[in-house]
Amino acid sequence: MTKEIRLMKGNEALAEASIRAGLQAYFGYPITPQSEVLEYFAEQAPKRGFTVLQAESEVASINMVFGAAGAGARVMTSSSSPGISLMQEGLSYIAAGELPCLIVNVNRGGPGLGTIQPGQGDYFQSTKGGGHGDYHLIVLAPSSVQEMADFVFEGFKLAEKYRNPVMILTDGALGQMMEKVELPPEGSLPYVRPEWATTGKAATRERNIVTTLFIEPEVMEQVNIKLQKKYTEICEKEVRYETINCEDAEIVLCAYGLSARISQKAMDLAREGGIKAGIFRPITLYPYPYEILNKLAETADHFLDVEMNAGQMIEDVRLGVNGKKPVHFTGRMGGMIPDPEVIYQEIVKIVGKK
Amino acid sequence: MIKGTVKIASEICKGCELCIVACPQDSLQLSREINLRGYRYAELKDDNCTGCINCALVCPDSAITVYRMPKKSK
Repeated sequence: MTKEIRLMKGNEALAEASIRAGLQAYFGYPITPQSEVLEYFAEQAPKRGFTVLQAESEVASINMVFGAAGAGARVMTSSSSPGISLMQEGLSYIAAGELPCLIVNVNRGGPGLGTIQPGQGDYFQSTKGGGHGDYHLIVLAPSSVQEMADFVFEGFKLAEKYRNPVMILTDGALGQMMEKVELPPEGSLPYVRPEWATTGKAATRERNIVTTLFIEPEVMEQVNIKLQKKYTEICEKEVRYETINCEDAEIVLCAYGLSARISQKAMDLAREGGIKAGIFRPITLYPYPYEILNKLAETADHFLDVEMNAGQMIEDVRLGVNGKKPVHFTGRMGGMIPDPEVIYQEIVKIVGKK
Repeated sequence: MIKGTVKIASEICKGCELCIVACPQDSLQLSREINLRGYRYAELKDDNCTGCINCALVCPDSAITVYRMPKKSK
């Protein structure tokens, strides 16, 4: 089967890609700006044979994901910021139980119930572990509708490879935006029921047990050591990023997701204005690409972090740059989107020439 | 001049405002009300639509239908 090109909303592209990636079960609860995911699944499920269930809450849906993942199913859920906050307990359990699943956060402006317009205020929650305990999600940040679809495949692959929950951190604009998207054929991601799945004890093997309760601290520590070993391996092997025009850049714009798209326009404006600007875009927000930032700090003079929040990723940018060069910040909050012209003015101010 | 009018599917509209920018007559605005999803939707502000269909062409969700009525000759 060949690839198919369609014009789709980000949310719909993500849902369609999930079906093509062999999704077996989806549990979710509607919330703007993410509702199209659930709607698309509900429409397609009877025709294409997978389970879709609208749970009574986000708390219920993440625990349904926990159960289905424990049984070895390819499973996902999606929500937006307030809903993802409700899921944090379940996410910690899933990470502790070492179960693969995909969680999609179509980030909206917060805090609180907030607004339904796009935001990036969930960066800390997603990358530093919003729930309790020493755990990490693998976090992927798409910046186009195409990547909304591609990262579903990437997400399931990583989740199943490392037995770790993967989060796609996107935002309300990418979810609602219509773009051309190239969809891979159905069944291109083969599924094998994992041997650890709790599907009932067969006579041929011992019982499979999934648990997150380890009363004895000696055992709990060993579990933690095992988890940390896995995270170290992920940090070594799975770092992904994109750099544009960074070779000769005097100022590097650091941004992910929608901010990176906006920064591209600002970069073009700067280049037209004679300022050598480049873009560093982390694709995996955990594991974070610290090393390349450190390398860039040797050639670039300034770093400008652009985000749709009060400055969260800037902490990781600083860790990467490690004091070698100054790191500046510009951004909007609460569902407002930064203007490329304003970012350009900020660049001019920092570099100090026009 | 041709007289026109638009019908906007308020439950499909996500309030992206592309049509408001595209309208040469400045006839569209965002509603004060919100739809079921919580978005303010586009609506007709002034009855000076010429039926130029710019709004319908730019609408990414095809939420706008344009009607044209020939002016009655006196």
